[in-house]
Amino acid sequence: MSKSYFDETHCAIGHPKSTFMQWMLTIDHKRIGIMYAAVMFTFFFVAVFTALAMRIELFAPGGQYMDGDTFNQAFTLHGVIMIFLFIIPGIPAVFGNIVMPLMIGAKDVSFPRLNWFTFWLYIAGCCIALASLFIGEGVADTGWTFYAPYSLNTGTNVIMALVAAFVLGMASILTGLNFLVTIHRLRAPGMTFFKMPLFVWGIYATAWIQLLATPVVGITLILAIMEKYFGIGIFDPAKGGDPVLFQHLFWIYSHPAVYLMILPAFGIMSEIIPTFSRKEIFGYRTIALSSASIAGIGYLVWGHHLYTSGMSDIAKTVFSFLTFFVAIPTGVKFYDWVATMYKGKIVLSTPMIWALGTIITFAIGGITGITITMIGLDIHLQDTYYTVAHFHYAILGGVVFLMFAGMHYWFPLVTGKMYNETKAKIAFYLQFVGFNLLWFPMFIAGYYGMPRRYFDYLPEFEIYHQISFFGALIFIAGLIYMFWVFFKGWTKGEAATPNPWNATTLEWHLPTSPPPLENHSKVPYVDFDPYEYHQGEPVVKFNYETMQRID
Amino acid sequence: MSNTLEGFSSSASTFNADMDFAFWMHIWVSVALFLSVVVPMFYFAWKYRADKVKNEEIGTLTHHTALEITWTVIPIIAVMFFFYYGNTTMKMFRTMPAESQSIVIDVEGSKWKWKYEYPANKAGHVHKIGGVYKKPTIDENGKVVEAGSMGISALYVPVNTNIILKMTAPVNDVIHSYYVPAFRMKEDVVPGRTTKQWFNASKVGEYDVECAEYCGTDHSYMYSKIVVMEKDAYEKWFEGAAEDTPKGNFAKDGKALYAQNGCASCHSIDSDATLVGPSLKGIGSKYDSQYLSDAVTNPDKDVPEGFYPGIMPAFKLSPEDLATLVKYMETGK
Ligand code: HEC
Ligand code: HEM
Ligand SMILES: [Cu+2]
Repeated sequence: MSKSYFDETHCAIGHPKSTFMQWMLTIDHKRIGIMYAAVMFTFFFVAVFTALAMRIELFAPGGQYMDGDTFNQAFTLHGVIMIFLFIIPGIPAVFGNIVMPLMIGAKDVSFPRLNWFTFWLYIAGCCIALASLFIGEGVADTGWTFYAPYSLNTGTNVIMALVAAFVLGMASILTGLNFLVTIHRLRAPGMTFFKMPLFVWGIYATAWIQLLATPVVGITLILAIMEKYFGIGIFDPAKGGDPVLFQHLFWIYSHPAVYLMILPAFGIMSEIIPTFSRKEIFGYRTIALSSASIAGIGYLVWGHHLYTSGMSDIAKTVFSFLTFFVAIPTGVKFYDWVATMYKGKIVLSTPMIWALGTIITFAIGGITGITITMIGLDIHLQDTYYTVAHFHYAILGGVVFLMFAGMHYWFPLVTGKMYNETKAKIAFYLQFVGFNLLWFPMFIAGYYGMPRRYFDYLPEFEIYHQISFFGALIFIAGLIYMFWVFFKGWTKGEAATPNPWNATTLEWHLPTSPPPLENHSKVPYVDFDPYEYHQGEPVVKFNYETMQRID
Repeated sequence: MSNTLEGFSSSASTFNADMDFAFWMHIWVSVALFLSVVVPMFYFAWKYRADKVKNEEIGTLTHHTALEITWTVIPIIAVMFFFYYGNTTMKMFRTMPAESQSIVIDVEGSKWKWKYEYPANKAGHVHKIGGVYKKPTIDENGKVVEAGSMGISALYVPVNTNIILKMTAPVNDVIHSYYVPAFRMKEDVVPGRTTKQWFNASKVGEYDVECAEYCGTDHSYMYSKIVVMEKDAYEKWFEGAAEDTPKGNFAKDGKALYAQNGCASCHSIDSDATLVGPSLKGIGSKYDSQYLSDAVTNPDKDVPEGFYPGIMPAFKLSPEDLATLVKYMETGK
């Protein structure tokens, strides 16, 4: 039996004997990716159960199980965990680490030790974030947006929360840097930018955002410190500051962060669709370049979060216009994906049905995003459940769903095992139906004027919240079932071959499954396109010992 | 689309027709775009399903210039329409009518209540509605120098009239947002700044106002109402001076009344802590409801030991509210 990366590893310091220490000190990109996933999904479940608690409270008008303050803490905890600890590291931390180096034929990322350090920086950031929520007068209740002056004059520890965001941001910057260098320097010979798989394009565009947008968090932190400790009025109107400035700074980072979540997710979609259509992707260049242009324009649209904050009308108009221009490249990708299926041979395996399901949910998320880009309509819908439903459709029904698609797709690669497909499909249908029941009614409630962050509401909205509650139950049941299926697959599943999906990209051309420590036996020479199929079969075949083409 | 939701009328203000047009135009165009993606997706997934397609039949299409131009240009055109209507509706909200042809009302949002101040009427009286109960200022001879306000917040306006709201929040407060779903409008209320919005209601009725910017504990109770009246009824009320709230009150329940009237700032009810006044915890078991309602309407009648008269203001509440509030003190509900 050949050894896989589960059997041996390189460590940051020394050669520890214990398996535990080997994991703690590992610098292998695959192991680091798995550790990110383990931590992130632990947090994810905490946040999901917090959300369930909120849904139970919202089941009927009036306060039943929690009072207003507890509810306010609940959505803050939910939002902070979901955004800062789960989805911002998100796909890059997990699949960027595990898959990206494999896809470009590299042995690891450019700076493996830095990668290890970054992981622990992320853990430190998580600890500070959680501490900031619990230190002081109980859990913070500011919402994940920490708007001034509310956050300044409650007992909440904004400075500490910002320090956490800063440390997590630092981890994000270093990941971005590491990936940028890796993609520039470690692509297998012959692999030009336009021969890279689209997931790598997604990670590449994301890495630039991580590098360029995140420093704004640092600026905000410094300003908040100057205000708090030197009494300089920056955000607090009581000191002569401007609270809306905080909103600007917050969104200058947090809006590009939205693209930082979605671009790698689009990358996953672009891997899965051609593989399960057994056919080259339609419009490769359009998809690659649209990711890059979204990353660019994405910096300039933060103002669409401030349509009702008293910003000048001209600024609103410009922000609205630019935002529409992010929508176009996004929309075009949908057509490219669907066109890829034309005259293909569509294999409806679990990753593919996740991808197709996401086309539906993400399209709804995108379209409702257009609604609130229309300034006049946003004046009505801003801060209502319409907006909340929109971003859950986009983040949960888009990013998280595609992450799940990726988990099903790369599961055999990572674990060397296969899960039970029938059960995995049942889990998909439960989540798909549950999700739509959970969030679609909220568009209607929001349109009729149900504001967000309300723990009690006018009785007219009861019916929508009740449907939503049952949706949440179904969704969460499906979610737990899905992880159970993974767990069973990993412990008891059948062994998987190195290329179970008949895919073309390099991560499926490894000598063993799961992959060995240093990936491909030799660095391959790439003189082919990423999705070359001929009559349903991958064109390129390798001798896995020498990595010479044998087709 | 018709609906029966109270306070969400589809013709309540002059904005509604344009807003609803913009919204539904966008929705139907988007539904068409959505179907143009999803229908082919389902069709292809069915038509080219693996067991129906032989390997030799798999196509190789990766580019089609005409198609690609079509699906780029059509969404761009659609989006330009959306942009246009988004902008015209914004202009409608943001173009304030001349103040000379409108009623300008000052609005103050603070944790967790709305307060309205009208321009002086012919008799020089200034209507102030809402906010926490403000004790009347009384001079040595017991003469009222300045009237208090009721603590129940509803905005009374005449139908078919331009109303400009000049909104602000105290500098040491937080951001709120004045949201009227029935008129499709909101604007943030920022401490230390004055923001404006306007409306012209087309239908007599009562419409909910909600706070839409998160502001803490009682964010979910920061309601108000806009009561649109016939012009003469409004005039009659406006030119009078006696009664601040011509119509009932719009608080939700005992707890909300308790919060809105500011009882919470002087009495704890969940604990035994003594704030300005005695704790009201378990007060229902000490006194009967008559005593409690007298304590609210005429607090100086019986003063508990260790406290002084003249601190708690006398509340003027409608009988229903008083009953609700007393029940809340007795039962916690
Ligand atoms: C400005 C502070 C203040 C506010 C506001 C206030 N109270 Fe009081 N309250 C007092 C004080 C002081 C006393 C004791 C002296 C008295 O009875 O006048 C008191 C007494 C009472 C008592 C009698 C308690 C006893 O043990 O006899 C009741 C009942 C009561 N308040 C209810 C209310 C309710 C209900 C509200 C809100 C509608 C309210 N109070 C608002 C200060 C306040
Ligand atoms: C299990 C599925 C989920 C449920 C049932 C759920 C439910 C909720 C609810 C009820 C709220 C409060 C809305 C309000 O009162 O305004 C909320 C807010 C929020 N959710 Fe979720 N959610 C889920 C998953 C997610 C995911 C996966 C993410 C992102 C990765 C996410 C991000 C957020 C954010 C950012 C907020 C706003 C918090 C705030 O207002 O500060 N949610 N969610
Ligand atoms: Cu408020």
